[in-house]
Amino acid sequence: MLATLPEEDLPALLSSIHSGEDASVYLITDDLAVVQTVDFFPPIVDDPYTFGQIAAANALSDIYAMNATPLTAMNIAAWPCESGTGILETVLLGGYDKVHEAGAVVAGGHTIEDEEPKFGLAVMGTVRPGDMTTIRGARTGDLLVLTKPLGTGIMTTALKAGLISEAELREVVLSMCELNAEAARVIASRAVGAMTDVTGFGLAGHLYEMVRASGTGATIWAGEVPLFDNALDMVASGMAPRSSAGDCFGDSRVEVEEGGVDDLLVQCMFDPQTSGGLLASIPAGEAEDLVSELRGGPALRASIVGEITEVVSPKVRIEQSRER
Amino acid sequence: MDPDIDCRGLRCPEPVMRTRKMIEGARGPFTVLVDNATARDNVARFASTAGCAAVIEEHGDGFLVTVTPCEKEVPAARDDTEARERVVLVSGEGMGRGEPELSSTLMKMFLYTTAESDEPPAKIIFINSGVRLVTENDEAAAHVRRLAAAGTDVLVCGTCLDYYGLTDSLQVGRVSNMYEIQAALVGAGLLVSL
Repeated sequence: MLATLPEEDLPALLSSIHSGEDASVYLITDDLAVVQTVDFFPPIVDDPYTFGQIAAANALSDIYAMNATPLTAMNIAAWPCESGTGILETVLLGGYDKVHEAGAVVAGGHTIEDEEPKFGLAVMGTVRPGDMTTIRGARTGDLLVLTKPLGTGIMTTALKAGLISEAELREVVLSMCELNAEAARVIASRAVGAMTDVTGFGLAGHLYEMVRASGTGATIWAGEVPLFDNALDMVASGMAPRSSAGDCFGDSRVEVEEGGVDDLLVQCMFDPQTSGGLLASIPAGEAEDLVSELRGGPALRASIVGEITEVVSPKVRIEQSRER
Repeated sequence: MDPDIDCRGLRCPEPVMRTRKMIEGARGPFTVLVDNATARDNVARFASTAGCAAVIEEHGDGFLVTVTPCEKEVPAARDDTEARERVVLVSGEGMGRGEPELSSTLMKMFLYTTAESDEPPAKIIFINSGVRLVTENDEAAAHVRRLAAAGTDVLVCGTCLDYYGLTDSLQVGRVSNMYEIQAALVGAGLLVSL
């Protein structure tokens, strides 16, 4: 949507929507840049404290994707007056606890009245420019590492439809509440090329943004991508949420191997994620070690899910498996 | 001709939910009108998962999906892989007849060792009070979750969940019906009944 605004042209603006990033990065001094991001959305789980935690983990994720350290957060809430303040207070507490877990503080916020509740945060952090990770650095031959399973959009839709219980959503909720902080630190200690977090455009959409910015192509090995239990069954039951990526990227930007990949699995590659994992391009020789390290610590289901290739058209190709 | 259900303007997953209701009560084909490709694909996928045929046509700015519920047919000659399919039927909370506590321990051990085995069964079906194992019983449910992760299709009797008031407590598996359960039982290559 923002592409309709004139492009900002300022040397101190190191990153912005015009370079395809969700966060802005502004250079203050030679060794200090400020990173800002904002995200908010309607409740996706019934429990207000959990919703607050998920919203905060999701907002903080853009900071971590740039290898920055979060410092302050501001709440943004829209809430119906008739529901009273109790539920909103619990949501805010969930957000507060998550922000503190991240080592940052909640400095304020703003609430308006609205029929449909919404909550999120604007987060500010800092990074040394030399340490910053962006979507621009992917190199041909890099392998792609994803730190969390896909399927939060599918599974929360299935919860809404009553096809699964809150208990069955537990694994998904824990994943959405999990900060990307430690995973980002582990990845950034390697020779990482490009890094982003997987959110509303799904894996295929965010990978498209990465390779477009990097001037490369990429292949996803769909069979290698970790999914939440039952996610494929839920797609078969018609629970694929309407995805922005599916609508915009559809045919011209992402190509699916002819007859090779199950349609249900392809849908998962476009599933919009809330508080999804990090996607990083890593030199092929380091990727296995990185995945072992991630699995031993912050990301039990981290996996190698594809590779960066020479630029091709369409830029992203979805294949079933790594073996060619 | 007017569609039987008009799902234009409805957000996901509402079109699928309305289609499901129609299938449950349907005596013949019906039509669903949707206004976007995601809803079209979701309705078609759900219909085919529910054992119905779905035909899609463009209709103005949207799509008309004609859903035809199928009579369950006796499966034709099965190929070898299907004929060897192993199915486990769990119809109670315990394994064998005796003290309930021992029966319950044995059942948990059975589920654990089955989850550990190299060749998990193709299907495991929970009926009657067996549904407690995938709802109230966290330990048993954890073993079943590992079975599901290993590729076993976990079917849970919906009527039974309803009867015991456990529909909202399902921890693992998918809610199934007697059509599917009957087909799985009579079509099994090897049936293990507990």
